[in-house]
Amino acid sequence: MGLTYEFDWGVLWRYPYGMWLLKGLGLTIAIGMAAWIIALALGILIGTLRITRYRLLRWFGTAYVEVLRNIPLLVQLFFWFYAGPMLFGETLSRKINHISGLNIWVSIIGIGLYTASRVAEHVRAGFASIGRDQYQAVLSTGMTQIQMYRYVIIPYALRLIIPPLTTEFLTVFKNTSIAMTIGVAELTFQSYQIDADTFHGLEATTGAMFIYLILGITVVKFMNIVEKKYKIQGLVGR
Amino acid sequence: MRKLFLSAFIACLALFLLSGPVLAGSTMDRIEKTGKIKLGFREGSIPFAYIDPKVGKHVGFSVDMAGLLAENLSKRFGKKIEIEPFTVTVKTRIPMVVNGTVDVEMGSTTYTAKREEVADFSLIFFFSETTFLVPKDSGIKTLADLNGKRIGAARGSTNLQAIEKLVKEGKFKPADILVVETHPQGMLALKSGKIDVYSTDRSLLEGLRMKDKNPDKWTTVDFAIAYEPYAYIVRENDSDFRDFVNNTIVWSIKTGKFFELYEKWMGPKGVVPIKMSQAYKDYLQMIVYPISDGWWKKK
Repeated sequence: MGLTYEFDWGVLWRYPYGMWLLKGLGLTIAIGMAAWIIALALGILIGTLRITRYRLLRWFGTAYVEVLRNIPLLVQLFFWFYAGPMLFGETLSRKINHISGLNIWVSIIGIGLYTASRVAEHVRAGFASIGRDQYQAVLSTGMTQIQMYRYVIIPYALRLIIPPLTTEFLTVFKNTSIAMTIGVAELTFQSYQIDADTFHGLEATTGAMFIYLILGITVVKFMNIVEKKYKIQGLVGR
Repeated sequence: MRKLFLSAFIACLALFLLSGPVLAGSTMDRIEKTGKIKLGFREGSIPFAYIDPKVGKHVGFSVDMAGLLAENLSKRFGKKIEIEPFTVTVKTRIPMVVNGTVDVEMGSTTYTAKREEVADFSLIFFFSETTFLVPKDSGIKTLADLNGKRIGAARGSTNLQAIEKLVKEGKFKPADILVVETHPQGMLALKSGKIDVYSTDRSLLEGLRMKDKNPDKWTTVDFAIAYEPYAYIVRENDSDFRDFVNNTIVWSIKTGKFFELYEKWMGPKGVVPIKMSQAYKDYLQMIVYPISDGWWKKK
């Protein structure tokens, strides 16, 4: 006895399996992008809340980050999908449960909210790396608190934290695979479907692996361009 | 960039080579050497193999059969053979047998020609059918009543394939098909209103129903869309071990132990009462090939 597995790489492009992988990739990209938009917008907001002068806002920002980043994403998606609708009362929850593609929406929102907590921490780190004198310099020009963040501190901090944001951007796409557990037919789901149909899971998973790799490298290349474009003059470059 | 791809490819290749199953010698030899048989059990296939929350262990009809198997193996080798249990899912049960993580999966797996291509199966020990669990007041009586309903089924199950086939053939048109990971998850989806009906084998659906707080709220429909003969999964080209599993089944039928276990799990007072049809009883009697006491001894 030994390795009795026979490789059949043809499943990757044979009809309909190649199509399944492409469809899965489409959903992976769509969910990843949508979640990333939520994560970026909310993450910048929450990150800013964490350093404002107002104690209540600060408290809210900290609570959000600690709750969202300390619970495994898998558990969060499960919660949003199965228990989430119940938070809206019985009649509304019945309506929500009938939304078609509910699991896709839940995964976009769930992954978005989770990633926002991580982005918020990077944003906070960005703020922290800006010297106190800079804040004072801005305020001395007569800007208000909000103007200070809007026009100086946030743009500055965001440029500083592009490298860690690249990692988060990549992680969003990888995390979409968790949406499989609530029945979203993304890339990993499709590779498992191919496995169930043909028992050539090794090839399907390898195929999915390379697709993720190419997707990830594309994101990295894109972010490198962004990084170069928004490099802060005068800081140490590569 | 090209370098990056190349190194990634080499890394993958290395992974494959390293992750090959470590299978030296036959399963029987390994069991004798280690004194252990590695068993794959499901987590929620009631009443065949599931985790009883009260004891935190796998229990069920197939788990008891595994006990008989270990007993016979102990007699064969003249020493205690212990069961090392592993939890498997619909998705992992075949790969885990094929790659050697477990020696045999004993649960409620449907025997299909397609699965036979990658693994071997024991004799068929049970028959179930793919059907649907619905709320009692739903009024669902025929397949046509399922048009426009949201249906749930487990990933990689024959039930899901049966549903997808019927949909493809235009026999009925559900509003949505939700793929869940485990049967308890399917039940959760049903109870939380995510789906209108959940589909798997009738015996398993009855098991899920009986485990619910209000078993009377649910019912399985009278029609079925596919038939599911159950068998245990073993590795290909491992006939000594497979014979031993088959002999255990046949011997249990001959000695009446099989019927005792059936009574315990699926009798009128069992966990999930499922009446033994005459055809099933006849089948069991007919597969008993000539076998006599002491069959477990090495020739």
